[in-house]
Amino acid sequence: MSDFRIIPGDIPLPLPTMGLEFMEPFFHGLLIVAWVVHILFINVLLGASLASVYFNSKGHKEKNPIFDRVAYLLTTPVTISENMGALWGVAPLLLVSILLTPLFYSSSIMISPHWLHIIYGNVVAFLLSYLYKYTWHTLEHRKTLHIFIGTVGVALFYTLPLAFMANVQLAMTPSTWTYTTHFWDALLRADTFFRLVHFYLATFAVTGVFMLVYGMYKRKSDDAEDHEAGVVLTRTGKTWFIIPTVLNFFVGPLVLFSFPDYGIEAFFENGYFWGIILTVALALFALYQLLKDFFNDDLPAKRVWTVVAVMIVAIISMASLRHGMRMGLVKPVLDASHAKTELFQKESMIAFEEAKNAPVAPVITQADVQPGQVLAEKHGCLACHNVDIKVVGPSYKEVATKGYTADQIVELVKNPKPENWPGYMPMPPMPQVPDEDIKQIAEWINSLK
Amino acid sequence: MFDYPIFEMPFIGHRLLFAFDAILHVFISHGAAVGGSIILALTQWLAIKNNDHKLDALSYKILFTFFILATAVGALTGIGIWIHINIINPAAIGALLRVFFWKWFIEWIVFNAEMILLLWLFLIWKKHPLGTPGKQKVYKLVVSYAVASWLTMAIITAILGFMMTPGNWLKSYFPAEPDYVAALFNPSWIPSLGFRTFWSIAWAAAMAMLLTWFFTKKDLELRQKAMRLYGTVLLVCIPFFVLFGAWYYAQFPQAAKDLFWMGAITRRLAAHPEYATYLISGLAGMVLIGAVSIYTKPKHAPVFLAVIMLIGSMGLIGEFERVREFVRKPYIIYDYMYANGVRVADVPYLNKTGYLKHAAFVPPEFREVTEQNKLVAGKYLYQMQCRYCHTTNGINSMKMRTIGMSEEAIYIRIGSLNSPATPFMPPFTGTDAERKALAAFLASLATHDQPALAYQKQLDEVTK
Ligand code: HEC
Ligand code: HEC
Repeated sequence: MSDFRIIPGDIPLPLPTMGLEFMEPFFHGLLIVAWVVHILFINVLLGASLASVYFNSKGHKEKNPIFDRVAYLLTTPVTISENMGALWGVAPLLLVSILLTPLFYSSSIMISPHWLHIIYGNVVAFLLSYLYKYTWHTLEHRKTLHIFIGTVGVALFYTLPLAFMANVQLAMTPSTWTYTTHFWDALLRADTFFRLVHFYLATFAVTGVFMLVYGMYKRKSDDAEDHEAGVVLTRTGKTWFIIPTVLNFFVGPLVLFSFPDYGIEAFFENGYFWGIILTVALALFALYQLLKDFFNDDLPAKRVWTVVAVMIVAIISMASLRHGMRMGLVKPVLDASHAKTELFQKESMIAFEEAKNAPVAPVITQADVQPGQVLAEKHGCLACHNVDIKVVGPSYKEVATKGYTADQIVELVKNPKPENWPGYMPMPPMPQVPDEDIKQIAEWINSLK
Repeated sequence: MFDYPIFEMPFIGHRLLFAFDAILHVFISHGAAVGGSIILALTQWLAIKNNDHKLDALSYKILFTFFILATAVGALTGIGIWIHINIINPAAIGALLRVFFWKWFIEWIVFNAEMILLLWLFLIWKKHPLGTPGKQKVYKLVVSYAVASWLTMAIITAILGFMMTPGNWLKSYFPAEPDYVAALFNPSWIPSLGFRTFWSIAWAAAMAMLLTWFFTKKDLELRQKAMRLYGTVLLVCIPFFVLFGAWYYAQFPQAAKDLFWMGAITRRLAAHPEYATYLISGLAGMVLIGAVSIYTKPKHAPVFLAVIMLIGSMGLIGEFERVREFVRKPYIIYDYMYANGVRVADVPYLNKTGYLKHAAFVPPEFREVTEQNKLVAGKYLYQMQCRYCHTTNGINSMKMRTIGMSEEAIYIRIGSLNSPATPFMPPFTGTDAERKALAAFLASLATHDQPALAYQKQLDEVTK
C-alpha cells in the first residue's frame, strides 16, 4: 500500500448495471470505443484547422487559388469534427464518472481551475473557428486579418489537450498524488510531456489519413479547382501520415517507460505488449502501402481504404491495451477506495440507527420554561441571541434593559433598526414569525431583567 | 466534501462561478436550441404552405444565428455545467450520475441525433430551395431536429426535478438502494417540463423578434409578417407557462416554499416581499410592453422595444433559476444530501467520530484538532463545509458574516446554522473540538489584522 498516500472514497450508490452481469464489461468496451471516436474527431479537428490556416497563408503568399481552395475545403471537416468531437467526449466522461469516480473527480479538482479551460477556452476557439469560416469571402481582400483570426483560433484549440492530458495522466497515476498537487505539477511531468508529444504526432498522422480519403473524393470532382485541391490533399496526407507515424515509433516507448513501475509490470504480466506489437506491425504495413505509391498523385481507392482499415484496427488495438494498462494502474486504489467506503457506510449505519432510536431530549417541557423561550427556540432567535452573552445579536438581558413594549418588539423583528446597536451586524428581518408569537417572546425577554 | 481534494474559487465564490456557466447555458440552449427549433419548424411550415420565399430566407438567417449560438456556446456550456459541478460538488454529481446513468445515456444518444440533424440540415439547406421537392426533406429534418432538442430537455428536466423533489426514490439508506423509476417520475418532472417548454418557445420568439428587426431593415412588409408571427407565438405561450409554473410551484416542499420570497430578493429585504413583486412585475412588464407594441406596430416600433423585451425575458429567466437554486437549500438533493456534499444519514457518525478524520486529502497531521493546529484544521473545515456558499473575503464572505462576533459567539452560532432563522444552511458537522477549530479560524479572519500571518505560522510549525 505504500505506493498510495491518498485513498479517496467512492460514491455510496450502486453501479447502474441493472443487475446484469455483463454490464460492467460492456461499460468498459463502450468506454474504449467512445474514447477512440472522440479522439479521432479531435485529431481531425486539430490537424485540419491547422492545415487550413497553413494552406490559407501559403495560397496568399504564392498567389495560388488552389491552396486557397484546399484551405476552404478543410473548414467543413473542422466544423463537423469540433461538434462531433465535443459530443463524443460526453460518453467517455459519463462512463469514466461512474467507473473511475474517485480518481477522475479528484484529479479534475486538483487541476482546477485550469480544468475549466476545456469549456471556456473551447467556446472562444469555437467562435473563432466559425468567424474564420464564415468570413472567408467577406475578408477575401484582407487576408492578413483573416489568417490572424484563424491562427488565434487554432492556437487556442492546441492548448486544450494540455488540460485534458494533465487530468487523465493524473487520474491514472494516483501513486503520484500529494496533498498539494496542482495543474502545473501534473503538466510538467515527463510522462505527461511524452504523452502530449505522442498525441500531437498522432493527430497529424490521423489527419493525414483523413486527407487521403477527403482528397480521393475531391479528385473525382468535375470542378477543376476541387480536383486540383484533391491532389494537394492526397500529397499532403501522405507526408502527414508517414513522418509522424515513424516518429511515434520512438516516442511510444518513452511514454511506456515513464509510467510507474507497477504499471509497467502490469503491462508485461498481462500480455499487453502483444497489442503493441500488433499495432506496430499494422502501422508498418500502412507505411509500406503509402511509400509504394508515394509519387503517384492518383492514389487508387483500394490503397486508401486499405490504409484506413489497417489503421482502424491498429488504433483499436492500441486503445484496448491502453485501457487495460490504465485499469492496471488504478485497480489497487479503486479496490482500496471501495473497501474504505463500505467500511464507512457500515459504521455510519450503526451511528444512524443509534441516533434514530435515541430518546428525544425533553428539555422544552419543563415547567420553569416560559412559552416565550420555547417560541424563541422554535423561530431560531436563539441562533443569534443568548440570554446572558452577546452572540450575533445582543444578549436578551441587554435588550431587556431598553424596556421596549411588546408591540415595539414586533415592529423591530419585522423591521430591525441596526442603528440602535452600533458594532453589530444588522439583524435580518424575520417577517415570517407571527405577531402573536413575537409578543410572547417579548414578554419573556422583558422578564429577564 | 471529505472524500475529495479542495478547490476554492476566491472572491466570487462557487455559486457565482457556477451560475455564470449555467445561466449562459439556459439562455442559449432553451432559446436557440429547444425553443428555436420549434420556432424554426413553424416558420418553415408557413413558408412552404404559402410558398413564401422571403420568409424562407429570413428563417435561414435566424437558423444560422441559432446554429452558431447553439453549437459553440449552448452545447459546450451544457457540458460545462457538468464540469463545474464536477469540481464544485463531486459527491452530488457522482450520486446523480449513478441514479440517472441510463437517462443520461439516452440523452446523449438523442443529443447525437440532435447534433447530426442540425449539421445535416445546415449543410443541405441551400441545396434544396423552396419550390423544389427536396424542400420537404429539409422540413422533415427541421421537425426531427425540434423533437430531438425537446427530448434532451425533457430528460435533463427530470434530473433537475429530482434534485428538488426526489420523491420516494431511496428504498434504503444503508446500503443505498435507489428506485430508478420513482426517481425519474418524481413529482415535479412533468409540471417543470411543461413550464420550461413554454417559456423556451416564448423566449426563442423574443430572440427571433430581435433578429428579425436586424434582418428586415430593408423589407418592412416582411418585418410586419414575421413580427406578427413571432409576437403571436410569444403571447400565446405566456398563459401556458404561467399555468405550468403554478402547478410546478405546488410540488415544492413546504420548506422550499417558505424560502421563496427570500430567494426572489435578498435576505436583507425579506421584510419587503413586495419588492420581489415589483421586480417580477417590472420584468414581466418589459416583456409585455415590448411584445405588444411590436405586435401592434411592427413597422414603426423601434429596436429599443425589442431589446427591452429581451432584457426583461433574460431577467425573468435568471430570476427563476436563482429562486430554484435558492429554495432547494440547504440540500443539493432534497433530504438526501446537503449542499456541501454531506449525506444527511452520515451526520450522526461524523458528529461522533469527527469530520477531519475521514478527510482523504487533508494531511494526517491536521485530522485531529489540537491547540497547535486548530487554525489550519479550522480552515480545512471551512473549505469542506462552508465554501460552497461562502467565501473568506468576497461574496457572502465569512468575514462580513461574523463581523463583531467573538470567537465564543461564533462557536455558539455554528451550533445552530440550520436553525429556523437560517434554514437554508446545512448544520455544521463534526465534533466539538472541530467546531471550536472552525470558530477559531473564522474569528481569525475578522479579528487579526493579518489573519494570513497567524494561519501561516501554524501551518509552518505543524508541517515542518
Ligand atoms: C441572524 C441573527 C439574528 C436572529 C436569527 C435574530 N436576531 Fe435579533 N438581533 C440580531 C442582531 C445582530 C441585533 C442587533 C442589530 C440590529 O438590531 O439590527 C438584533 C437585535 C434584536 C433586538 C433589539 C432591537 C433593537 O433595535 O433594539 C430584538 C428585540 C431582537 N433582536 C429580537 C429577536 C427575535 C424575537 C428574534 C427571533 C424571532 C431574533 N431577534 C432573531 C440578530 C438576530
Ligand atoms: C447552502 C449554502 C450555505 C452553506 C453550506 C453555509 N452557509 Fe452560511 N449562510 C448562507 C447564506 C445564504 C447566508 C445568509 C447570507 C445573507 O445574510 O444574505 C449565510 C449566513 C451565514 C452567517 C451569518 C448568520 C446570520 O444569521 O446572519 C454565518 C455566521 C454563516 N453563514 C456561517 C456558516 C458556516 C460556519 C458554514 C459552514 C459550516 C456555513 N455558513 C455554510 C449559506 C450557506
